[in-house]
Amino acid sequence: MDRLKLLEHTDTVNELLARYGVKFGIYKNNTFHEQLFPFDAIPRVIEADEFDYLEKGLKQRVVALNMFLKDIYSKKQIVKDGVIPEDFIFASSGYMVECEGVTPIKDVYSHISGIDLVKGKDGTWYILEDNLRVPSGASYPMIARDLCRRSSPGTFSDLKIEDNRNYAQLLRRTMDNVNVGGHSVILTPGRYNAAYFEHSYLAEKTGAHLVNGSELTVEDDKLYFITANGEKERVGVVYRRISDEYLDPMNFNPESLIGIPHIYDVFRKGNVALMNAPGNGVADDKGIYYFVPKMIKYYLGEDAILNNAPTYLPFYEDDYKYVIENFDNLVLKDVAEAGGYGVVFGNKMTKQEKADFLELLKAEPRRFIAQEVIDFQDLDIVDNGIQVPRKADLRAFVLMADEPLVWKSGLTRFSRNPDSFIVNSSQGGGFKDTWVLSR
Amino acid sequence: MKKLHFDYSMRIDYEEMVSTCSFTIKCIPQKNNRQVPDNVHIDICPPTKYCLGLDGLNNPQIYGKNGYPHDYFTYRITGDVVVGLSLYDDLAEPGLAMIFNHPHGLNIPGENIKKYYDSLDVDGIDDPYQKAMRIMYRFHDDYEYMTNSTNIYTTAEEAFSQGHGVCQDFAHIFIALMHLAGIPARYVTGLIVGEGASHAWVEVLSDGKWYGLDPTNNKPVFDEHIKLGVGRDANDCMINRGIMHGGGLQTQTINVLVEEIDERKMEND
Repeated sequence: MDRLKLLEHTDTVNELLARYGVKFGIYKNNTFHEQLFPFDAIPRVIEADEFDYLEKGLKQRVVALNMFLKDIYSKKQIVKDGVIPEDFIFASSGYMVECEGVTPIKDVYSHISGIDLVKGKDGTWYILEDNLRVPSGASYPMIARDLCRRSSPGTFSDLKIEDNRNYAQLLRRTMDNVNVGGHSVILTPGRYNAAYFEHSYLAEKTGAHLVNGSELTVEDDKLYFITANGEKERVGVVYRRISDEYLDPMNFNPESLIGIPHIYDVFRKGNVALMNAPGNGVADDKGIYYFVPKMIKYYLGEDAILNNAPTYLPFYEDDYKYVIENFDNLVLKDVAEAGGYGVVFGNKMTKQEKADFLELLKAEPRRFIAQEVIDFQDLDIVDNGIQVPRKADLRAFVLMADEPLVWKSGLTRFSRNPDSFIVNSSQGGGFKDTWVLSR
Repeated sequence: MKKLHFDYSMRIDYEEMVSTCSFTIKCIPQKNNRQVPDNVHIDICPPTKYCLGLDGLNNPQIYGKNGYPHDYFTYRITGDVVVGLSLYDDLAEPGLAMIFNHPHGLNIPGENIKKYYDSLDVDGIDDPYQKAMRIMYRFHDDYEYMTNSTNIYTTAEEAFSQGHGVCQDFAHIFIALMHLAGIPARYVTGLIVGEGASHAWVEVLSDGKWYGLDPTNNKPVFDEHIKLGVGRDANDCMINRGIMHGGGLQTQTINVLVEEIDERKMEND
């Protein structure tokens, strides 16, 4: 009954979201479009026991991924021991030689990890991908919850739901854990970034300064924030929402106008924390995904709690054969692409497309992974007043503070197109709140 | 064994005032098995505070920012280096060696380099150093040195396809050939006895050691080279890197002098 009450308020909530500027910006054909991120009021509900299981599995995964990053940029033991072939590390575009030998404060590489999962029809959860660079999306369920509570307060007093508005405290705790002394800032590329709403919202909620590159400066191996009256104040931690390449024109892409010259040199000397640490792309590559369960075994001596989707690496001869033989049942992903791009379904290709693709696969087997198509559970959404089932995934957020913390909520994204498996917001999907029931 | 004196200077003149400039300079010789530097002096003008550090590949670097308006920037690094103490530069740390085992950036081979490699017929040679030397001799005969025929963005495949290039291109193509031969190889920036500009060559991994080979001059690196930095390709160890606000048209001049110090003559003076 209470959920029905919430449904009546869908339009109100969407209007409020629009008024608050909860938008998603995308570039298409070289122009910037800002679109609303449609909210659907039927929440995804996860029982307490089920979430306990997810929480354990997510912590385990993120702890192992952090150990992997530390290993790769120092001893490379996992490669020397033959668990992961060299090609998947050093020929990967996510590997950054500049990060060699650099140890982030308290060895934390991925402070905020966005782990995407789907639930199969049989109730099994599968990991779809890890996002360890600048995962976005936590602000959407935060503000949606806030607005829903306002429009339908009764729903939340009658049901025992974990309050997800504590994300800001978790984030603050994560920032404070690595702050070397000084201001906490959130660095945004600016107003035209896809997730600008989120940057400003998180700054407001955590009490950090929202800054752009021109407000930060490096002097004598330290990072300073330039105040409104021109004074320089030390910065201890930067939650940066700028990708690695654009962060520092003196160490990475020299063309970057939004970065801060020498900020990485300051980080290298341990005089500022960067969240997340640069170089994480080597661990969330789709090729490395295949190896994460092996990583968990290698570093923690445990079996992975959460399953990967069944994945094949054409790089290995046996897998290559399997892929050729079962092509029509598989989804193929280009390891270098993200955001739902570079994903093709074997059974949806024309004869010519298939022939071209097989040629490419033969020439560059390392570039692709193949996965069984998981028949995942649909979630109901309201489309023009009618409830219809749609594909949906869950982005869970794991924060690495003094201990790993899993946010008891998450971003549930759905495809509005009934025939599509692709839920990315950059491709027009919508979102739901995720309710984790408390005991 | 020789004692060399080096003098590297770079000057940029700007047409208009520069309000801020950030720079990173990787031009400081480091001690290794083959070379020992001494008396290294750094001079930056207009006087600018700078920091010292090591980059991800352990190359020494000087970096800083000049926030006062200026219309020129110049620095000079001088010092003495004893070279030729050994045939190899460094013992290879196995982890770091992996980094130099894969095509990257400007050294990625294309069809023409692959075809050329296949024509070399060197598969019968087991020892990596011997194999590298053989390839160097052949490649040096088949590729022509030509001043100003390429730029800093030219890839190995482009430079190879046009049949001529400068030391940077010799190095990139040679690294691509080494990778095809299964030999880890890295790009080296440095200086060589004589007057003119900086130089580039290659180090190959053999028997756990990094040996320098200079494909431009067709010889192993021993007592005429001063090593400054290493990388997967030229972009990893560029000697000068800078960005500035303002400046308009700029003119860069680089002068390099490396000469042998005659110890006896010095004593007589």
